[in-house]
Amino acid sequence: MLSRVAENLYWLGRYLERADNVARLADVNVQATTEMTPAGGGQAWDAVIATLGAAEEYEAALEERPDLNPIDFVIYSTAYAQSLRSTVAAARGIAREVREHISREVFEEINRLYLGTNRGGTDEASLRTFYATVKRAVAAILGLFDNTVLMTEGREWFHCGLFLERAEMTSRIMDAKYFIILPVPEDVGGPRDRYQWMAVLRSASALEAYRKQDYGPVTGPRVADLLMFDPDFPRSLVYCVSELHRHYDRATEHTPPVRSVHAAREITLLELDLRAADARNVIRSGLHQFFDEFQGRLGAIDNALRTHIFQALPEEPTR
Amino acid sequence: MDLFSGYRIRSGRDEMFTPNLTVRPPYRDFLERVRDWDAATFIQRQETADLDTLNSGITFTVYNDDAGTERIFPFSLIPRIIAPDEWNRLERGLVQRVTALNRFLVDIYGAQDCVSDGVIPPELVFDHPAYRLKMAGFCPPLGVYAHIAGIDLIRDSEGVFRVLEDNLRTPSGVSYVLENRRTMLNTVPDLFPEGRVEPVDGYPERLLEMMVAVRPEDVTAEETRAVILTPGAANSAYFEHSFLARQMGVELVEGRDLVVHDEHVYLRATTGLEPVHVIYRRVDDDYLDPLVFLPDSMLGVAGLVNAYRAGNVTIVNAVGTGVADDKTTYRYVPDLIRYYLGEEAIIPNVETYIGWREDDLAFMMENLGDLVLKPAEGSGGYGIVVGPQASADTLATARERLRREPRKWIAQPLQEFSTIPTFDGERFEPRRADLRPFVITGESSWVLPGGLTRVAANAESYIVNSSQGGGSKDTWVLREQPEP
Repeated sequence: MLSRVAENLYWLGRYLERADNVARLADVNVQATTEMTPAGGGQAWDAVIATLGAAEEYEAALEERPDLNPIDFVIYSTAYAQSLRSTVAAARGIAREVREHISREVFEEINRLYLGTNRGGTDEASLRTFYATVKRAVAAILGLFDNTVLMTEGREWFHCGLFLERAEMTSRIMDAKYFIILPVPEDVGGPRDRYQWMAVLRSASALEAYRKQDYGPVTGPRVADLLMFDPDFPRSLVYCVSELHRHYDRATEHTPPVRSVHAAREITLLELDLRAADARNVIRSGLHQFFDEFQGRLGAIDNALRTHIFQALPEEPTR
Repeated sequence: MDLFSGYRIRSGRDEMFTPNLTVRPPYRDFLERVRDWDAATFIQRQETADLDTLNSGITFTVYNDDAGTERIFPFSLIPRIIAPDEWNRLERGLVQRVTALNRFLVDIYGAQDCVSDGVIPPELVFDHPAYRLKMAGFCPPLGVYAHIAGIDLIRDSEGVFRVLEDNLRTPSGVSYVLENRRTMLNTVPDLFPEGRVEPVDGYPERLLEMMVAVRPEDVTAEETRAVILTPGAANSAYFEHSFLARQMGVELVEGRDLVVHDEHVYLRATTGLEPVHVIYRRVDDDYLDPLVFLPDSMLGVAGLVNAYRAGNVTIVNAVGTGVADDKTTYRYVPDLIRYYLGEEAIIPNVETYIGWREDDLAFMMENLGDLVLKPAEGSGGYGIVVGPQASADTLATARERLRREPRKWIAQPLQEFSTIPTFDGERFEPRRADLRPFVITGESSWVLPGGLTRVAANAESYIVNSSQGGGSKDTWVLREQPEP
């Protein structure tokens, strides 16, 4: 498969997953804090912005436009590349470019999602509807993708992007909770703490899974256990990385090892480490450091894919 | 007849009706089938068709438009219908013309007999900006330069089809032919006379067959890898590039996806480098290879032309075809047909004056108000001055331009061309339409039955280009009626 097309499909998976997560994150955080904090949703948007790692960019944007609403930044901005709207536009641009590699149904669904994100209100009710639409559309696209796209290499690259992005977003959601929302130690274990952990579970669509897997009362370590190390939960770090591993192996079935070995090594080691890890130990030695390192390792995988596969300098042809 | 009551023919020939409004034979069956329709039925069917077009994303890109850069190409449900005997003649004429043009191209990059025999002035060939010195002494596989030709035809007041323009570089529009037919079959299947309309969906297969046929000598048909080279998703015809790639099942590549090693072309795949043998390029000559043409081109592939000259890759259409589809060269095509094939042109030209010839120039200056002035280079309907419709100011400017750079202009008498009933939102009005059939040439030439019928944006206009707001129609070539 053409390297450029492979890279595009990988990013199509990433952008669609990111759009879904931004919608979830905004939805849940705003909901949770509106209930718990009388001051209103401003703090919630700070959390969303922090989770997306966009605090500096938001500051800069505020300097230019002091009246800039966080909703206009996170959701509707065309200038901020990680906004929901920019993310969907990026996915749609790619879909148009690689249209011959995805099915007509997938293209049309992405196109519809894109046309839908160009308009929308900023009041609470229309935002909620908007998030629901985005989440449903992404789910529909993933379903159509699974059921209508050929079982070839491109499909595997799409899934590599999707699971790498999901692992990244799950870790960001958890990281943000621990170190940004809750700076006060005495709150730990209190009702506010518990409520916020439930919001984290909801952001990751994990509350029902948490109950089903019988984790007991909601506490930080238990939530961490589910979202990081439960191999049966489809948004957990270990699940995402092992799916990434599986799809990567299939995608590179015919790739010469000189190209494929770099990312393969990073992915294998990361999966082994996750499988060997234990929530209590991780928390004891510092969750934030763990996420920092985890995100760094995802970055290294992404880098290996780009350098050694998608944009590899052409070696001599074998003749 | 309800649908067309009150229809008025303005000037020129109408494809559906004679001057006293009796139906011409090819349309008899069609009119029978819409007999029960009223305007409301038509509008409803047209809306269904438009929705079908929008959903399948049949768009072209409009540059610098904020509201979304893609537009649909207006499409009208009333087809152009061509009778079997008319089409037979056109088909022969098109093959004849394309054969002669290919012979001409091989000749000017080879023996140059046509010049030494005085058929065409040497300056018109060798001073031409599209003449590629780099190609001199090179003959592409099977002696084919123009693998894909789009020949624009019109029909004059006497009912004679004439060639208006040859397009031998990267003619576009064939995707609309295929999608228009699909839309028609989806929305108005009841209007088709059963089994009597020539299908058009054979085109992608013929195209692929041709690409395999013109492969480099030392490559087998089985191992031939053909690709389409596009300038990228921002190009106005990207839909067509993507469409053809999907229809043929070949890879759609950009310049940066290809790399040249030892005069062989490779595709940059995830698995390494994979050889490429035939490139259907939708990138102009100038951008094809920064080492040979425009050095700052980001769209091309460095070293491509050398690989081509070494015979390791075939470029479709060949490099340097632009000399033959020029509006100045056009004037000489009937002579070229006579010279190479010993035949008279089956489809005549439109009378043409070229600024390059002194006697023609004098005539042009004198009669500009009665002529249509066109730039010799260029396409898309830009820069055309329609004398009889132009203001005094426009004419004065045009005359000045012509005086300054006579070689850049040609002129033709205002050509009446035939109209087809087209719905203007309330009623049918006659709109001028041209026809662009497509000819594929590999071991032999094949003509796609029909072609792209483009209609002008309003009843007055003589210009049918999509960039000027024109629309399109399905084109039906009827088969001989089977013996009862």
